[in-house]
Amino acid sequence: MTRSQFRLWALPVTALLLSAELAQASDKADRVFTQKERSHWSFQPLADPEVPQFEASGDNDWISTPIDAFVLRRLNEAGLKPAPRGDRRTLARRLSYDLTGLPPTPELLADFEADDSVDAWPRLIDQLLASPHYGEKWGQHWLDVVRFAESEGFEYDRHHDEAWRFRDYVVRSFNGNKPFDRFATEQLCGDELAQQFEGDDPRTNAELRDALVAAGFHRLGPVRRNAGNPEIAFSRNEVLTEMTNAVGTVFLGLTVGCARCHDHFFDPFLQKDYYRLQAFLAETHEFDTPFVDPAEWSQWKTRHDDLTQQIYELKQQSGNANDDEAERIKQQITELQSQLPAPLPSLFSVAGLSDRRTPIHLLERGDETKQRQPVGMRVPSVLVDNDVRELSQDTPQPKTKLAEWVTSPDNPLTARVIVNRIWQYHFGRGLVPTANDFGMNGEPPSHPELLDWLTRHFIETDWDMKAVHRLILTSSVWQQSATSPQKKQAEKLDPDNALLWHMPRRRMTAEELRDSMLAISGELNERLTGPSIMVPVSPELTSLLYKPDQWQVTEDRSEHSRRTIYLIAKRNLRLPFMEAFDQPDLQTSCARRESSTHAPQALELLNGRLSNRLAASFAESLTAEVGSSPERLVQRAFLLTTGRQPTEQQQRAAIEFLLSHPLREFVLALFNVNSFLYVD
Amino acid sequence: MIHSLAEQCRKQLDLQRREFLASSFCSFGSLAMAAMLRREQSATAGPLSARAPYYDEAPAKSVIFLFMAGGPSQVETFDPKPLLNKLDGQRRPASFGEAKYQFVKADAKLLGSARKFTKRGESGIEVSDLFPKTGGCIDDIAVIRSCYCDKVVHSAAQYELFSGRTFPGFPSMGSWVLYGLGAETDSLPSYVVMADPDGALEAGQPMYGNGFLPSAFQPTMLSPGAEPVRNLNLPSGVSLDDRRATVDLIQNLDRLDRSPLDQELAARLETYRLAFRMQTRAPETFDLAQESKETHELYGVGTEPTDDYARRCLLARRLVERGVRFVTVVSGGGPGNMQWDAHKDVEENHLRMAAQVDQPIAGLLTDLKRRGLLDSTLVVWGGEFGRSPEAQVGRGRDHHNLGFSMWMAGGGIKGGRVVGATDGIGLRAVERPVHFRDIHTTMLNQLGLEQDELNFLHLGRRERLTLIHGEVIDEIV
Repeated sequence: MTRSQFRLWALPVTALLLSAELAQASDKADRVFTQKERSHWSFQPLADPEVPQFEASGDNDWISTPIDAFVLRRLNEAGLKPAPRGDRRTLARRLSYDLTGLPPTPELLADFEADDSVDAWPRLIDQLLASPHYGEKWGQHWLDVVRFAESEGFEYDRHHDEAWRFRDYVVRSFNGNKPFDRFATEQLCGDELAQQFEGDDPRTNAELRDALVAAGFHRLGPVRRNAGNPEIAFSRNEVLTEMTNAVGTVFLGLTVGCARCHDHFFDPFLQKDYYRLQAFLAETHEFDTPFVDPAEWSQWKTRHDDLTQQIYELKQQSGNANDDEAERIKQQITELQSQLPAPLPSLFSVAGLSDRRTPIHLLERGDETKQRQPVGMRVPSVLVDNDVRELSQDTPQPKTKLAEWVTSPDNPLTARVIVNRIWQYHFGRGLVPTANDFGMNGEPPSHPELLDWLTRHFIETDWDMKAVHRLILTSSVWQQSATSPQKKQAEKLDPDNALLWHMPRRRMTAEELRDSMLAISGELNERLTGPSIMVPVSPELTSLLYKPDQWQVTEDRSEHSRRTIYLIAKRNLRLPFMEAFDQPDLQTSCARRESSTHAPQALELLNGRLSNRLAASFAESLTAEVGSSPERLVQRAFLLTTGRQPTEQQQRAAIEFLLSHPLREFVLALFNVNSFLYVD
Repeated sequence: MIHSLAEQCRKQLDLQRREFLASSFCSFGSLAMAAMLRREQSATAGPLSARAPYYDEAPAKSVIFLFMAGGPSQVETFDPKPLLNKLDGQRRPASFGEAKYQFVKADAKLLGSARKFTKRGESGIEVSDLFPKTGGCIDDIAVIRSCYCDKVVHSAAQYELFSGRTFPGFPSMGSWVLYGLGAETDSLPSYVVMADPDGALEAGQPMYGNGFLPSAFQPTMLSPGAEPVRNLNLPSGVSLDDRRATVDLIQNLDRLDRSPLDQELAARLETYRLAFRMQTRAPETFDLAQESKETHELYGVGTEPTDDYARRCLLARRLVERGVRFVTVVSGGGPGNMQWDAHKDVEENHLRMAAQVDQPIAGLLTDLKRRGLLDSTLVVWGGEFGRSPEAQVGRGRDHHNLGFSMWMAGGGIKGGRVVGATDGIGLRAVERPVHFRDIHTTMLNQLGLEQDELNFLHLGRRERLTLIHGEVIDEIV
């Protein structure tokens, strides 16, 4: 096709898209939703499905949990059989990565293999769920979803030195099995929850501290700071947009951001609904809550505000001053800056400031200069009756109201969304494959009844996340082998494995890969919690920073071998190793990691500094452990990296290699083999 | 099942093509279907395997983006404004309308330009004395004097120039192009950025990045030192033969493993072959000593102040010659005055910056042309915005987004033409305004890509390079 032909063809479509783009906000009556929109599956109350019953004894033998019954019904209908159970080593390795993101120790594998008691499997699950590494692994999933970073992005990419507390809060919440409705509530309205502790010192009151830190959720988006002529209203609109979109994506699984400029194209979500949701956040502002004695704070603030105001005024003058004046002003500013009191320790949080509440209007095309009708707080129209009225903009404790609605058992979205996320992290694919989009443009659930049954169970057990893990992990579905004897036939019928006729194999995430290499080579520093670490990086990388001196390598070298979740999440400097293995870019919510395969990954693992350094340590610790017998070295190295012994042929190839090559090169090869990088 | 990336990508592209077709009219649909099928046939294993463009006649195969970071002044380069000189020192007449700057206040005075403009080439387009050598290529260049964008601060404008959004997190044009067309070389990275060694830019690394696209489409930052591509050099003490043996062992152990090799695992094996080939063949590409003395002189290699930019331009040519898809060559980095960000003294800044790039750019255009590469290489020149007609701090100029110049050459662009115009003082694009999205759309068009077809599902939306639909600049294609 030539370009002119193509354009001829594309023109009507383009015109259609354009006319839709130009659909503008107006004060016209709200659009009436169609029956199809109203009846979209995710807006319906949870069903109460019966667990399927089976007659064939073979079927009943396979079923260990209600999950299996729902999955088996669909498989039977499609004429497919589940894959056989995975062997014990495979299951234990899979479980270890699934729950902790770390390789199983050879001892754990051997113990489990030898344990023939009936409850060996559930006990292993409980053992790993109780490990502090569980929170590190599952906390990272949540950090992906909320686009956690410790710097603001854009040109200044300013660091928030206390944002690590949010990461620790998340890890701790998972480890403590905090009920999800509580976890959500703290993030949505922690600053309002904190008010009940007024006058308390957050250093000693842990509940107060957690509430304030959790509310930092609203500050996790990128922030553009402005130099020169301030664009106050514009910047505020950007901040409100980030906050509103995050609530929609993270908790509701709705792409509400699409409705900022116009009624949503695909979902029954009005532009007005978008601003009604935003109205809950109208008084929320970034706020570093002092992490000191309240009296010390008030003294500090007086002094600080006074100096800051003087500096601000001078800066305003300097913009248009001539060279001499500018130089003089610069000196004055430097002098004043040196007098600024050292920053107090503070918590990265938000506060509801009613005197600085942004009046919320419907904005034409999302433009803050084009305000239309004012709107108050209300939940999305499709989920409530038409006669529910907006709350006025000055309703007190607005985010608490929002949190109450988000976590209400009657909200058809929140619980389904988190249950689906948990499912996805266990199976690589959600029951709803589009985990951040439960709208009409997302994919429908593959097993709608299972999703509702599981969600109902989740709410009935008080939003207990570890209970969902246990159900899934004890299911026969999860314990299937990654390979199926009927693969050829099944792949034709269900190429995406949506019906779960086998367990999908997955490549380790970037974090799992780095952490595993550290653990296997004996270098992993297992310390939990604390301020984030900056590891040494090449000068080429820091030279790509607008402010290279932001990268201050952590002095204590043993800290450089901490788990990846404790390395700083800096928007403008990501470690190339992590980037190559599909770590998300920290700018927008990541519902599901990509898993791509390309040559720079091979170069990273073959020639990279990390893999070569760790291969050397691995070779050393291996020799110290088992001596110099090639057989024992090869076997132990295989066991540590892949969880099992080499095949005979592999053993032969390895020993042959060792005849003329150093051990370091052999273990480097093991960091590169599929049976290390993939979890079966 | 974890899909191989190739599968995922193909699915994305297929799905959106089908949706697009379904929503269009049947008679045109069948036409498009034929093109789609052809494209599918050409799609092979890897995410980076070369894919046919949408249009058969697409002229360009590669893009070289000469990024003048910081924002060069339109009235000092390609947009002569005699009226501005007449009004030097006066307030802007109200008839020109309002403009919002980053620093300059409403009471600032207009600043005339000290530059001399002369008519160049057969087309007689006026080019300033900052670009005497580039001016010699003007008959191959289409100057767009009516560019505008949405932001007047560096980071946001840089993101918009690279990714069509004023905030980070979206794929840059290089990643989109690679996603759309795949790579034509398997021994070199296909989307390359050569930053200015003087330092970084405000928008930082996310500006060049792949955003939410899979990491196969990430940029490769070429470093000036001994290791131009990360991890290309062997660790010390390891010979190429050692490494070959290790790679052989990896492949052996994988083949001898219990679980059979499926498509994804086979694709991984293939990456080791590619990695090895990159290691052995890429160094030859980076070796500029293989070029003749005459070529070095043409670009200005070996003489100051052109040496650095000349080396990078010459390398850009060697890269596109070997099938690299997208090369960004940045001029300017570090503190503002080391970029084209002439707040204090536009004369001093632009004389210095232009002297570094004029000859290398002219050398690049000339060299591409004489090797027959210019027809298939689209060269784009420009910054993230232009500069204010008003003075700032004496003889400097502030940022300015309402009217400025960019240019395109090669890759099927009709040279010797001027598109659009700003008003009498270079404040505002008044004739045929061209937004970054139109630049993006034109660039995609020359590569045989189309903004709607080239999309990726992210957070429930089919995202594309342009936020609002761009238009092809028809006058120059």
